[in-house]
Amino acid sequence: MDIRELKKQSDLSYDIAVAKRNALEKAHSRQVLAYNGNLFRADPETICVVRTLKENNSKFYILDTNSNPVEIKDADDFLNKLIERNQEALNTYHQMYETFTRKGE
Amino acid sequence: MMTQGVLLFCFDTEHTRYHKILERCVRLVKKNISKNITVVTNFDTFRKMSPMGFIEYKLIEPELGNTLNGKAWNNVDRHMAYELSPYDTTLVMDIDYFCFSDNLKNLFNTEYDFLVPDTAHDLSGRNSFDQRRWSMIPMVWATVLLFKKNDKVRKIFDTVKYIKKNYSYFTEMYRIYSKNLRNDYLFAMALQQINGFVGYEKMPFALPTLPPDCEVVEINDKGLAWKHNNQISYVQDQDVHVLNKEIADV
Repeated sequence: MDIRELKKQSDLSYDIAVAKRNALEKAHSRQVLAYNGNLFRADPETICVVRTLKENNSKFYILDTNSNPVEIKDADDFLNKLIERNQEALNTYHQMYETFTRKGE
Repeated sequence: MMTQGVLLFCFDTEHTRYHKILERCVRLVKKNISKNITVVTNFDTFRKMSPMGFIEYKLIEPELGNTLNGKAWNNVDRHMAYELSPYDTTLVMDIDYFCFSDNLKNLFNTEYDFLVPDTAHDLSGRNSFDQRRWSMIPMVWATVLLFKKNDKVRKIFDTVKYIKKNYSYFTEMYRIYSKNLRNDYLFAMALQQINGFVGYEKMPFALPTLPPDCEVVEINDKGLAWKHNNQISYVQDQDVHVLNKEIADV
């Protein structure tokens, strides 16, 4: 057992964990979407709620990030923008994640 | 036509060439926010600045007397942002906030009167910005503010001015540990007072922040790298609030 090797591995793991946290935080910030004058988070919860609500009506109400009610008049447009922003953020996170995986090997 | 723009405050001190930091900040604002820019400064700082393209300047004499770690810190003029801004919608930013992304541009497309972040993300991974334990009220990060000019927001700034005038009383009342004037606490107290001691609207993200013991070793238009405990880390396409003022020399 080489203690220096273990310490090196521990340092590398810590660095990767911090970089991963930062990349995830970056993805969270990127998921914030301005739509019709309000801010929404393009996360799975919002996407699922919008998809469910639009099954019954193309117009509905939803809460923004500050819990203000907002009327959504074009559900398809809103859902498309949410998915686009969600995937843009996660795609960038995925690319970063791949570099962590290579580093850790 | 409603006007939109970014307002920056910049005053050199004996120890720090803030105008160097401003030059980097302006380049990134132009690239990623693409809005008009107004710089509030004094003549001594203004004459040291390199040409930065089309920018509006407002020359004032900064209020002196505030310190950070024993060094002069000319940061107490933020309460005048409402009067100094020529825009209907204004994004006020610290010049050590580097917008490597266009995330803040999003905020201009909203109807909120006043937005401020209330959390910070420690990029060094140590969660060192849990400020709640340093005061009775949740802190906000006045590093970045978005406001519209209207009667409600004018009253917020009037409250900020009132609290600033009676700062020692309010810091005692809210049991704020830090005794130097911090815009973060000033706005946190004002927002709580003017909003009837209940909640207020916030920016829905944590401010990515690099603690003062992280030394920035490289910076370009995409991101920056820093050294901490002999480890080099970096971020790119992600905004960063840099607390180490030595960045002026990088």
